[in-house]
This record gives sequence, C-alpha cells and structure tokens, in this order.
Amino acid sequence: MPAPTVGATSSKKRKSLKESGVPSSKRRAVAENDSADVMVEISQLEEQISESRKYYNNIAKLISMLNVDDDATNPNLAVAVSLCRVFSRLIAGGDMAETNRAAENEKIIAAWLKERCREYQKALSAILREGDTSAKLTALTLCMRIVSERATHIPGEDTQVWLSGLFKNIIEAIVKTDDSEALRSEFLEKFAKEYEDVRFYTFMQIADIAETEQSTETLDVLISMLSAFDTVPGPEHEFKNFYVKSSKKNKKLTSINSHKKRAQDAWLAVLRNNLSESQRKTLLRMMVHNIEPWFNRPELLMDFLTDSYNVGGATSLLALSGLFYLIQEKNLDYPQFYQKLYSLLDADLLHSKHRSRFFRLMNTFLASTHLPATLIASFIKRLSRLALNAPPAAIVVIVPFIYNLLKSHPTCTFMLHRVIKDEAKAELEANGMDDPFDPEEPDPVRTSALESSLWEIHSLQQHYHPNVAAIARIVSEQFTKQFYNLEDFLDYTYQGMVQAELGTEEKPMKRIPVIEYHIPKRIFTDRMLDEDGGVDTAPGSLVRGLWDFA
Amino acid sequence: MPPSQLKQLKASLRDSGVLGPQQSKKQKRQNAKSGAAAQNRVQRNTALQSIRDRFNPFEIKAGGTRTKFDVTTRDGNSGTAASRARPGVTKSLGEEKRRQTLLREMEKRNKIGGILDRRFGEDDPTMTPEERAAERYARASQRKMRKESMFNLEGDDEEEEFQLTHKGQSLNDIDQDDFQEGDLGEPEDDASDSEAARKRKRVLFDDDDMDGPEELEDGEEHPERKKSKHEVMQEVIAKSKFHKYERQKAKEDDDDLREELDKGLPDLFEMLRGVKPPPKPEPPKSDLASMNPDRAALLEGTAKGDTEKEYDQRLKQLTFDKRSQPTDRTKTEEEKAAEEAERLKALEEERVRRMRGEDVSESEEEEDKEEDEGSEMSEDESIPDDAKVFGLQQSSDQTSTRPELGVEDEDDFIIDDDLVETRSDVSLSIGDSDEEMLSAVESEEEDEEDEEDELINGNVGEASAGADTPGDSEGLAYTYPCPKNHEEFLQVIEDVPREDLPVVIQRIRALHHHRLHPDNKKKLGQFSRILIQHVAYMAEQPEHPPFAILENIFRHVHSLAKSHPESISQEFRARLREIAADRPLNLRPSDLVILTGIATTFPTSDHFHAVATPAHLCLSRYLGQGSVNTLADFAKGAYAASLVLQYQSASKRYMPELINYVLNALCHLAPEEPKGSLGIFPARSPEESLRLKISKSLNSRKLQFWDVVGPESPKAREEVKLSLINTFVSLLSTASDMWSDISAFLEIFDQAQKVIRFLDRSCDGKIPSTVQDTLQSTLDKLDGHTMKARLSRRPLLLHDHRPLAIKTAIPKFEDTFNPDKHYDPNRERAEANRLKAEYKRERKGAMRELRKDANFIAREKLREKKERDAEYEKKYKRLVAEVQSQEGREANAYERERRLRQGKR
Repeated sequence: MPAPTVGATSSKKRKSLKESGVPSSKRRAVAENDSADVMVEISQLEEQISESRKYYNNIAKLISMLNVDDDATNPNLAVAVSLCRVFSRLIAGGDMAETNRAAENEKIIAAWLKERCREYQKALSAILREGDTSAKLTALTLCMRIVSERATHIPGEDTQVWLSGLFKNIIEAIVKTDDSEALRSEFLEKFAKEYEDVRFYTFMQIADIAETEQSTETLDVLISMLSAFDTVPGPEHEFKNFYVKSSKKNKKLTSINSHKKRAQDAWLAVLRNNLSESQRKTLLRMMVHNIEPWFNRPELLMDFLTDSYNVGGATSLLALSGLFYLIQEKNLDYPQFYQKLYSLLDADLLHSKHRSRFFRLMNTFLASTHLPATLIASFIKRLSRLALNAPPAAIVVIVPFIYNLLKSHPTCTFMLHRVIKDEAKAELEANGMDDPFDPEEPDPVRTSALESSLWEIHSLQQHYHPNVAAIARIVSEQFTKQFYNLEDFLDYTYQGMVQAELGTEEKPMKRIPVIEYHIPKRIFTDRMLDEDGGVDTAPGSLVRGLWDFA
Repeated sequence: MPPSQLKQLKASLRDSGVLGPQQSKKQKRQNAKSGAAAQNRVQRNTALQSIRDRFNPFEIKAGGTRTKFDVTTRDGNSGTAASRARPGVTKSLGEEKRRQTLLREMEKRNKIGGILDRRFGEDDPTMTPEERAAERYARASQRKMRKESMFNLEGDDEEEEFQLTHKGQSLNDIDQDDFQEGDLGEPEDDASDSEAARKRKRVLFDDDDMDGPEELEDGEEHPERKKSKHEVMQEVIAKSKFHKYERQKAKEDDDDLREELDKGLPDLFEMLRGVKPPPKPEPPKSDLASMNPDRAALLEGTAKGDTEKEYDQRLKQLTFDKRSQPTDRTKTEEEKAAEEAERLKALEEERVRRMRGEDVSESEEEEDKEEDEGSEMSEDESIPDDAKVFGLQQSSDQTSTRPELGVEDEDDFIIDDDLVETRSDVSLSIGDSDEEMLSAVESEEEDEEDEEDELINGNVGEASAGADTPGDSEGLAYTYPCPKNHEEFLQVIEDVPREDLPVVIQRIRALHHHRLHPDNKKKLGQFSRILIQHVAYMAEQPEHPPFAILENIFRHVHSLAKSHPESISQEFRARLREIAADRPLNLRPSDLVILTGIATTFPTSDHFHAVATPAHLCLSRYLGQGSVNTLADFAKGAYAASLVLQYQSASKRYMPELINYVLNALCHLAPEEPKGSLGIFPARSPEESLRLKISKSLNSRKLQFWDVVGPESPKAREEVKLSLINTFVSLLSTASDMWSDISAFLEIFDQAQKVIRFLDRSCDGKIPSTVQDTLQSTLDKLDGHTMKARLSRRPLLLHDHRPLAIKTAIPKFEDTFNPDKHYDPNRERAEANRLKAEYKRERKGAMRELRKDANFIAREKLREKKERDAEYEKKYKRLVAEVQSQEGREANAYERERRLRQGKR
C-alpha cells in the first residue's frame, strides 16, 4: 500500500475534483452505513437513473459516494462499477452526444453529463494511480470499458479517446506509478497483447512518453512493456482482434506497416534516451529476437548498435549479434570490423558468460575462406594466448575452433610446423628465439602472428584435466577430420565437468581407484622428522613448508 | 572312302595287339609264371573296351559345345570330361538303382505285415555264408560281453533269448565243454564255486516248488542225465551272479589296498622333493602276488592300461617339476632392502605410466571398445557429438573409467598379509587385555616394523604428542562396537577424550579385523567411510582439533584404503560431490582438510583418477571462480593453490587457474593499485580494498592453517597480508620451477614477472627483508628460467607425420581371374547368389529324378499289365484248348459210340 505519503502528494493534484460538493461528514456517514444498506442504495440510485432523466442528479450523488476526493486509496468499488454501467448506458444511448439541433435544455443536460463523466474518469485515473492492487485492476477494467464505449458511440472520439483522453491517462498511470507490476501485467495480458488496436495505441503512447521521459525507472518499465510484445505479425497477418469493434474500419489499424511503424517509433524513442549500462545490455540481448523484427527499416538501429559496439567489454559482445544481423540483412558496411572484433579478444572474454555466444558469432565471421591468412593467424594466436589463462571450459572450445580455422586456412599450419632453414639454425642455437607475435598491435593484419608458433596450445597438452589435455592433443595429430562441430564444445562449465566426473549420486565403481603406494609419513605435522635427518622430503612437503599446522 | 567297318575293326584289333601271332606253349608258360599273362589280360580288356567305344558311336555322348580354341585352363579338361559322357551307362545305372529301390517300394505298396529278416548279412550278396556265420558269432559274443557290466545283476535272462545255438545247444555250453576250467588248476576253488552255486540255487528254489531240490539232487547225482533247458538257465544265472559278486569283492579289496597306498603318498612326495632324483614308484607287484591270482589277473587285465597311463603322467609331471630349492633361507638386511627398493621402483614405474595415461590394460581396452561400440550405436540414432570423443559430457552421468589395479595390487596384498599377521596377534593380545603384551609384540617385531604395523599396534603415542602413553588410555574400554554411521561413531566416542581417539580407532580396527569374521570386511569398509566423515566433522569444530589427530586418522584411512579402496574412494567422491553441489566457490576448512587427505591417499599424478581428477577440478574451480572478498578468502585461496601445486608436484601439469589466482591476488594485496593491465589474467577485485599498508614494523610469518578463518585484529590482518604476499610469491617460484619445461613458459611467466616487478616497486623496499628476499630471489629465478626458455625455444614441429596416403581409385584386379567364379565384393550378396544357384541346381536335379521315377513307374506298370494280360491270354487259351480238347474227345467218343451203334446195327 502506498499509504499516507502518496495520498498527501496526490491530494494536491486533485484540485479539479471539487465538483463533488458533498460534505465530508455525509460521506463519512455513508461509509459508516452498513455495507448491505450501501449496496441497496447504490442499486436503487442506479435504477432510478435508468428510469428517468429527472434522477440524473443521482449521478452526482454516486460520484460523491466514490470516496476519492482527497485520497483515492480507499475507493468504493461498487459505486465505481455501477457508475460505469450508468455511463456506458448513457453513452450508448447517445445522451451525451452533442447535436446542434437539440433543444437548449437538452444541450445543457448533455454538457452536464459530460462534465460528470469527466469527473468520473478523473476519479478512475486517481484510483489507477493510488488505489491498492485490486482497486487498480478494477479501475483498469472500468476505464477500458469506458474507452471502448466512447470510441464506439461518440462520433469523432474513436481516435481522440485513444490518443489524448482516458487511454493516455491509463498508460501514464501504468508507467509512472510505482509498484504497479500487477497492473502492468494485467494490462499487457488482458488488453495490449490480446487486442491489436490496444497494442497499436500503446505503442503510440509509449513513444510519446519516451520522447519526454528521462528517468531510468520509467525507461525500465517502458522496455519491459515493449519487450512483452514479442510476436511480430507476419506479412500475411490479418488483424481481427480488436477491442473496439469499430476499429476494423480504420485503415491504419489494419495495415501491418503502420503497426510496425508505431512499434519502431516507440523503440527508437526508447533507444534515444540515455540508457544505463544494464539497460543497454538487456536491449542488446533481445535485439535480434524482439526488437529487430519490429523494424521496417532496421538500419535505424545502426547508430545504437555501433555506439554499443564501441563501448567495449560485454556490451560489445552483445552488440555483435545485432550488428551481424544488419551486416547480413541490410548490407551494412562496417569499417574495420575485424580489427574491432580482434580487439574484443581480451582477458575477460573467456571468463565472461557470453563466451559461447561470442564464439558462435565469431565462428560465422571467420568462416570465410577468403579472409587473409595473416588475419586468421592473428586470431588464432590471440586465442591461444588467452587460452593460457582460460578455464578448461573455454580451452575446450578454443582448440577445436583453432583446428577448424587451420583446416580452412592451411597456410596457417606454419604455426604448428615450421622447418628451420639451415642458415637460421645456428643463430637459433646460439640465441634461442622470442615470439615474433606482437600482442600489443591492434591491427590483426600486422601482428606477424604467422611467423609465430602455437606454443600455448602445445603447452596445454599438459593441462591438468585429462579431457582438456586430450583435446589439446588434436593439433599435433594428423588433420584427418574435416572439421569439429563447434556446437558440441560450447556450453561447458566447471559444474558440468565436475558432475560429469562425479555423477549426481553414488554408483558402484567400474574400477577400483588406485591408492597411493607411498605410506604417508607425515601429513600435517613434523612427525618423525628426525628419521629423515630433519629435512622434509616426503610427499606433501610443499604444503608443510608453506603452512603451519597448529 | 574309308575302309569297311569290318576291315577297320580288324585293323584296330591288330594295332592294339589283341590279335597277334599265336604264342608258343613255352612262351605261354613263361608268361604265366612271370605274371605277365595277367597283365596282358588287363591290357587286352582295356583295349577291347576302347575299341568297343570307338565303334559304337551311340555309347559316348559328344560334348554339347565344341571347343573353339585349344586352351589350357586351370580346372583341368572339364570340356573333354563332358564330351566323354556315356548316357547309356548312366541310364542303365539309374535303371538298376530304381529297380532296387523304387520297384521294391512299389511291390510292397498296399501290403501289410510280413517278416523282417534281421539276421546279419542276410541280404548281402557279397558275403559268403561262412563269413556271415563268423560275423554273426562275433556279434553275439560281443553283445554278451557288453551286457556283462560289473554291477548288472539282473537282465541276464533276456540275453538268453538271443543266444546262438548249435543243434539246440547253447554255443556257450559248447565252449565250456571245450575249455575245461579244471585244467587251470585250483580244483578246490572250483568246488567252492559249485558249492556256492548250489547254495544259491537252493535258496532260489526253496519256496518255488517242491520238485526243485529233488531235481537238483538228481542233477548232481546223475550228471549224465541231460539237463532240462530251465535248469541250464538257472545254472547259468547263478553262475554269472556269483561271478559278479566275486568281482565286487575284488574291487573292494583293491580299494582298500589303494587307500593304504594313498596313505603312503605324502611320504613318497617328501622323498621326491628331496635332493635325490625321484625314484620310480614301485609297482605294487608284491601285493599282486599275495593276492588272489584271478583277481590279480582281473586287476591287471582291466586296470593295466589305466595305471600305465597314470604312471606316465606322473613321470612327466615329475620331469617338469621344479627342482626343489632352499627357499626358506632367511634373507639378509641388504637383500631385504634391495627387494623393497625393487618393489618401490616397480610401483613408481607403474605410477609414471599412469601419469602419462598409458595404463590401459587389455581388459580395459576391450571395455573401451565395447563402450565405443555402444556409443556408436547411440550415435547412430542421434547426431554424433564431437566433444564426446574426448570424454566430455554435458553434465550427464558418466561412469568414470579408471585403470585396473595392475601388478601393484599383488604387492598390496603381500603387504596386507604381513600386516594381517601382526594384526591378528594384536587382536589376540588385546583379547588378553594385556597392554604390556601389546608393547612386547611390538618390540618383538621392531626390526621389521612397518609404518602400518605401527599404526595397528597402537604406537600412536608420539603421534598424538606424547599424550597417549599406556597409562593415559587406561580409562578406555578395550572393545568398541563397529559403528554403522557417523552418529553412532559420535556416540561411541562421546566420552573419549580427543587425544585418545587414535587408540579407539585402532582398537576398533583390530577388533573387527576381516580375518576374525567374514562380515568384518564390510563393517570396516563402512568404518573407513565414517573416519573420513569424522575428519571433516572435526575440522569444522569451533575449537580447532590438533592436526596430529587428523593426521593420524588420515594415516588410518590410508592403510584402510589398501583393503577397502572402493568405500574410501566412494566417500571421498561423496565429499567432493557435496562440495561441488553446495559450496563450490566458498570452500570450508574441512573441505581443505579433505582435499589435503586426498593428496596423501591417492596418486594425484595420474592422468586420470576417479578421485584425484574431480578433486583437481574442485580446487581449480575454486581458484578460478571463488570469492576474493576477504583476507580469509585469500588465505583459503593460498592454501588451495599450495595444495594444487602439491597435487602436481610429480606430474607437473599446467594449471591456468593457479597462475590467474596468484597474480590476481598479488595485484590486490600490493600496496598500490597497478596502473594498466599487467597481463591477460582476468582481474577480480575484492569488494573492499585489501591492500597492504606498508610499515617496517610488520613481520612476515609462516601462514597458519587457521588463517583461512580470518584474522581479527588490524595488526594481525596486516601481518597476514604480508605473509600472504610472501606465500604467493614463493608459490610462483615453485610453479616456475615446476613448469620450466613447458613450451609456453615465456608467455605464462611474463605476466608473473611483470606482477612481481610491480610489487617490488610498489613496496618500495619498505617491507621486511625476508619478504624482500623472497621477492628478489623469485625474480632472479624467473629471469633465469626465462633465459633458459628463450634459449631453448624452437618453432613447433608438430606435423612431422608421414604424409597420408591418397585414396586409390585403381580397380581391384584379380591375378587369377576365373570367369566361372563370382567376385562379388559384397559377401552377403555373393553368399545369397551361391545359395540360389545351388537351390536351382538341386531343384532341377530333383525334378529330373522325379520325372525319371515316374517314367520308370509307368514302364513297370505297363510291364506288369502286359504280363497280367499275357497270363490271362495264356490261361484263356489253355482253357479254350482244354474245352476244345474235351469237346473233341467227347465228340470222338460220341462218334465212336455212334459208329459202334451203327456198326451193331
């Protein structure tokens, strides 16, 4: 419950609500009445309104009973529901329609009714903003009902009610109030996702808000709302589900392009904002599946994506897939793409959780056999450098990846096998050699990695994990396999590896493990050290030397 | 024009030498003598046959296909053979065969009953009657022999039915007549024989009929009288039964004798084992002599072959027997030491083999193959997974394969045996409840005291810091139940002071030694698991237990692991599993203790080990991902890093996580923040700064194990930081020693050098000299190793393989091609084709035969019908003729009568 503080702030907003001139004492009296009596009274008042015009004053009475004057935290929902019925009936009956030919008094009545209706709508918005969750949900339903009635029966209001009237209030209430998750999900589930016209206008409203709004929380809400629309209508989609039946005639509402345009606008408005890092990552993560399909002109995303790509780190990794989409689909020309890609291979890459995602993409980028061998060699060398400090799960990917690269670029196999010329041999014997590879060089064509050798992978053949060592050994065997399916090597983790070794429960062992034959003379203490002449050389001496067990 | 047939015949006869000038009588005689006549005759016959063939063109069928070219083929002159077919001969042969079989059947058709002649050789025309009789006699006697098995008391009667007779007398009787037993001597034996037979007969006939005895009496008194057949039968029965009884008796005697001989066998063997060459086992001739002669004959007759065979066998065995050697000589100390060294060397070799991952025994290979096949099978169904080839699996269960216990096992067993003996002694002495005895046993075996013995014999006194003198543990009970789970164990040791725990464990082990009860092995297996649980439990206690006790328990675990490797490894794996599931990134002190225990219990250098490999993974995971927020975390990390290095001290495998962790930790413990990246190790920063505040007053100390819990006071914190730096740097130094041979040493330790230099700079010489020294020495060492690595660096030469052969596309030529053969590379199809052809051939043949049969049958039927008709015709004619003749006769008679009457008239 947003309790008193919210009430206090909102009371200022409701200056316009003074129309309901019922004294508070009376309201209190009503509130104190037995609830059954109230219900009876409400239904009686409602009946009277439907019976004759002379009871229209009951509307004012009911509005006063709504109990939202100062504070909408505790509204009388029964009244709200009955009022909704009353207004729906009135709107449907055309009582609120202004006609020029009508008599003066008719006009006065209509104007008065309109005034009351506006009052009621304001009250509902207040409830939406301030009421408790159930009240909010009810108010939402009532609002939507009124919206529907107005759009159907009042001529000229079929778009106006969506754009500026009550619907705008609803969206604002949904977006701006705190802790309105329930309301939001209700709206999304029951209306926005269900009915295509509601979605259409929601996009418009969101675009409006996003253009002006800057605060992070609101953006979060907007992003989450937008991302909820994850099913993009296909080109042959027929628009049938409309909340307001008359929307069918509206051409805008039945064309896919206009729908997409609205969505695109909304997204762009959001993207133009000053996004936080995490929001950016979220957006990038759903870029390919949720955002790009909505875009008629995906190239509009280019700025956002290139900006993200230039941020570096994980954001770049994430931007890569969106960028790839553009390159592939929209023929985007990205200058120095490979240089950028090369720069992404940094110390944290292999430890990040986007590792396999990145490798999938890189596999695509480096798949072409027309890439220069120097470039490929740089990538290979860089990856093997990184593998020296990588967790086993990453090494497991890198080695087959390198294998595939070597297989498609046989020139690079010099990195595995280089026969030394005789004249260079003497020099080598005398001075040894340094790695010709320049790790600092940002341009992958100039690293002279092709002159280097893959000592790193060779070293990993002595990895502590037997399976990793076995994989590293493939580079020194004959390259008989056409290629390794990279997908099989991705998505390994420590947890998975440990579980693969240990299983989840105890099972009888196939083979009895070997037991160390050295009988431990000492494990923690200096037991019987004198026998060895005071020098601890027994197994485990390393730990004993560094640590004091007391 | 060729000459006439007759002329040709004459000419050919002359050519072949059938006709020739007549030989003189002398010549003839000579020829007959030298056997040339017979030869001539054979020659003449073949010549005649060939001439006959030549002159009857219908006898020989010409080949179906004439040979186009004169070629020699491998499969001989098949064409000529075909052209030599002689249809006439084959036809007549087939006809003959049918007459013998089919015709018989035809004749027998619709006929029931008849007599089957089963006499031997009755239908065989090739046998002469004499041969037939001889064969029949032989068969009859054989059958009789067969029937007379030793224990066949019944069934003699039926045999009599098949006895051959000669002039109504049994052939056997005739035999007996011919061959008088009395001639062989021992008349009294014979008499007793008949006496016994008589008695038997009496018994037999007593209640049968009244006439029996009288008849018998008669038979005895008047041997001349011809015995009735019945009598003869009875006599024969009685005699055979008596013989049977006799044989049984003899057999029993033989058995007794054999037993007696068997009793002497050990002595005999002993004698054989001696230095003397094995004397020939004396055949028990003397026994035979004293035995009943016919029994001896029997024995010799029946068992001679067997005994000889057995004797030969024995003899062979003996020749192959090793000469007995003086094995029991007590060994000298040096020899024992050498033997021990030998054993250790073998074990070490074994370990190195495992380290290289070469330990694949035969059985394992087989199993692997099976597994491969199995996986292939499964792969057939799904997409093949490249990663699986390397044993990688996506977190699914994998039953780990590990090397079979090889030779080492035996050695273990030997150790165990020694151990067992001492242990059983111990258990006995404990049973006597005599502490002194215990120590006495110990002192007795002092010189051959093993570490194990020490454990069992309760010399834990010094291990538990001298607290465990016999006097101290007087309050302990001598018997403890073997606990089934950890709770029970905790109950058992509830009242036991912590220092006496080793004594309790030792007593439980001694009391439940597996020699004492078959269930004990299982119990001790469970107990070993409890011990591991207890170590973890103790390490978690707030008052830190003395490590001497933990160590002692681990030593117990190690010695138990030799006899219960399965349960120990299962328990360790369970602990690891728990770590991996609950707290992979935040190890507890108890986990560290357990991981230390693994290092001492299992060979961590193995290429793959069911416990060591997961332990490695656990540690490296902690190093790679564990939290680095507090000093305690760093202390834990330092311990884990030392442990990892300890694991790899023999196998020297590379561990990226260790380097990453140590460098990262140093960067964050250094007094200043490094500017820029120092390497490609991932940076993980603690939440709050843990940088060292430099002050000269600080002192580096050896890290305490319980630092992993975290120091309290700020002063202590700084001290721990400094010590951590010291430890990490020395770990780097050790690691650089360990991995100095790795080809990427430069790349790995380049970062380390940078980090240490930075550390050196940031400390700015204001740290205690000990740490400064460590830093400097490590730097020097790294420099040295780097120099060496640079000098020894060569470009890789990994692909010095023999180039792969290009797949050949040359068709496979047959050197010995035969168009009649089928060279189908698909074996199954070839086999199927072969079977089809065979079936076709057989079917054709069978149809032809059936057709011929039908023809034959039709022919036979026609012949029969013709015969029948002819017979009928004959009969008819005969009857007509008879009637006619009768008529004629009667007509004549009538004529005569009439003439007579007319004449009279």
